[in-house]
Amino acid sequence: MYLPAGIYHETYAASHAWWQTNFVRAKMALLVALVATLPLYASLYVVSVANITLYTILSALGVQLLIGYCGQITLGHAAFIAVGAYATAMGVLFWGLPYPVAMAVGCLLAGLWSALFGLPSARIKGFYMIMTTMAAQFITVDFIITKYVSRVGGREHYFSLPPGTITIGGWPVDSEVKVYYLASALTLLSLAGMANLLRTRVGRAWIAIRDNDIAAEALGVNVVYYKLLAFFAAGVLGGVAGAVWIPSLFFVSPEHFQLSWSVWLVGVVLIGGLGSLHGVVFGAIFVTVIPELLKFAVIPLSGVYPALTERFLYVKEAAFGLAIILFLLYEPRGLAYRWQQVKNYFNLWPFAY
Amino acid sequence: MKRLALALLALAVLLPPLPGVVGAQEVKLGSLNDLTGPTSDVGKDIALGIREAVQYVNDTGGINGKRIRLFLYDYGYRVPEAITTYKRFRDFDKVPAILGWGTGDTEALSPTVGRDRMPYLSHSFSAKLTDPKTAPYNFVYGTDYSSNARAAMTAWFEEVWQKDPRFKAAREKGEKPRVVMFYSFPIPYASAPIKALKDHAALLGFEVGSDQDVSLVALDTKSQVLAAKAFKPHLAWHGNTTMSVAATIKDAHALELGADHIVNNWGYDENLVRLAGPAAEGVMGIAVTAFYGEKVPLMDKVLEYGKKINPGVPPEARMIRTVQSWVQVLMMAEAMKRADKAGKLNGPGIKEAFETFKDWTPGLGRPPITLTATDHRPGSVIPVYRVKGGKFELVKNVDLKARWPKEWDGEFFGY
Repeated sequence: MYLPAGIYHETYAASHAWWQTNFVRAKMALLVALVATLPLYASLYVVSVANITLYTILSALGVQLLIGYCGQITLGHAAFIAVGAYATAMGVLFWGLPYPVAMAVGCLLAGLWSALFGLPSARIKGFYMIMTTMAAQFITVDFIITKYVSRVGGREHYFSLPPGTITIGGWPVDSEVKVYYLASALTLLSLAGMANLLRTRVGRAWIAIRDNDIAAEALGVNVVYYKLLAFFAAGVLGGVAGAVWIPSLFFVSPEHFQLSWSVWLVGVVLIGGLGSLHGVVFGAIFVTVIPELLKFAVIPLSGVYPALTERFLYVKEAAFGLAIILFLLYEPRGLAYRWQQVKNYFNLWPFAY
Repeated sequence: MKRLALALLALAVLLPPLPGVVGAQEVKLGSLNDLTGPTSDVGKDIALGIREAVQYVNDTGGINGKRIRLFLYDYGYRVPEAITTYKRFRDFDKVPAILGWGTGDTEALSPTVGRDRMPYLSHSFSAKLTDPKTAPYNFVYGTDYSSNARAAMTAWFEEVWQKDPRFKAAREKGEKPRVVMFYSFPIPYASAPIKALKDHAALLGFEVGSDQDVSLVALDTKSQVLAAKAFKPHLAWHGNTTMSVAATIKDAHALELGADHIVNNWGYDENLVRLAGPAAEGVMGIAVTAFYGEKVPLMDKVLEYGKKINPGVPPEARMIRTVQSWVQVLMMAEAMKRADKAGKLNGPGIKEAFETFKDWTPGLGRPPITLTATDHRPGSVIPVYRVKGGKFELVKNVDLKARWPKEWDGEFFGY
């Protein structure tokens, strides 16, 4: 922690405070103002890209908790997002629950479901954990949801919610801008909650398990309990993401929660940086905004070179894969670490040695 | 680095100015395609065909003199990217209508396009998309999967089961025909028609064996074929896409399943014959348009533009998918022309124009399309084909409405 000369703390509370200088407080106020006013000057297209980014942040947050903070590799997180999404949708559709209540039920269910699939972590770790979390993916999405849940109520294989069914206290969530405010509020809440959780006893226990589970147990950490707690918390965060997905489309189908999305989320966390909340945000922005920027390069040019969109588009995918490889090679600690470096540079400037 | 910059500069200088900048009147059209994702095996041919068909429309007068400007983009079958691309088309490029692709993007965007009043003509023929009550702005150019399944089963029942001497003994014994279904359970395209198919099996008096789950990327399906063999089926339904259908048919051939095969439209194309070889002989299936190179009206133009616009792709590599995308583009162009004539070249105007279609066909072997404000099913006539000597031949046109008029407007509608 770099502090300007002359600032020192006299209490533990002050030295643990999030925002310690006026500069940082101003920066944070600016960020909140920026997020709050975005729809006023940005087009709906930008808002919807922001929505997808927020959804990706919320989705990847649980993955970051499990992989980055608790050391439990997961390749099945989309399953818990799906549980949250389906429980919310069904709560609103079939039982007429208000959206916030349905969301809470969805989060709880997703958390419990995730804890259930976290049970094997009491016995196994590492690559074997990948197998059991993948099992969660296939059992939940491909089997239970596809074959049974999505056919409830005589529907075909998806739920489509009539407009106006999602309201928060009489306030219908039915446009991109409203979804944006909902998603940003939930993202800020989840991020703040996670950040605070990580500096409590629970968070320290998770990090201890990540660093060395045997040592953690020797220090008196109840490894199984805290691992299950991590799975529960990650499931709840997945449930939040699922609940946000519902009003952004008014539609939910098993196709939205395939294994590819679980893997994608691990990619988000790797690009952003393992073990960092900044990393989740940076990673989500990277994977959502870069393809959009590529569209600006490709779509106008396709009028001149039509073949660009048909025959060379794999270049886009290849560039994306290359970016991930380059990150792993040259920036294994992700964008968050680069961000720290940039901050350090300016903190130490002009005497950067 | 310097050389690269120079090369880029040279490219920028040599580039012709962007068309449309000169101020010619144009109509924009968005197209969501999959060129890199799991459905890209058919998606690439579709995209080539769309580009060629748009060029053809522009060369033959465009939309009452206005050129179509096509915005075609790949979303890799990732739903979030389909959403952002759709919104880019809506807010940034400001297109009045969209050509859509698979069940993933189409169904996910269905409530959104309804709210945004954006006509969406998709390659996904999920039956849900044809009910204007739930999907008012969705349109399809081919018959829906459920109707396809019913038609294929009807054609086999009438043309093979009731006539073929192979089944004479079984018929005389009063045996019921037995059917088994191979499809990927979790894939909505594959599982969409299953309920309709089972209802139809009951209607025609079939016995139904237990369903076999075959992945879309399956290379080996022996365990599923053996499981089905215990049931001694006369008929097998294949609800997947070409690669996995070919794998299943080959395994069924090798393991002597002894059943005839019927295939849904996305599993039935020139590649099936290439991949399955002799095992594909006699396989029946649904094609919503004529096959590539078949002698039907307008096919000469499809071949000509294929050669002109994409000379690098040999005609042997082209498929029925090209023809399908021609029908898609021509149908959209027709709706745009009608909307333009009415002075309403916008979302609601194009929707209304679609709903005036009455026995319209662009040729290309597409049975006439009729759409109304209460029914977006394009028609009830469904051609069923059969592979004979490595070529496709028409078995019969099944008219579901003529055969079951009451059910067509009742339980056949909307799923």
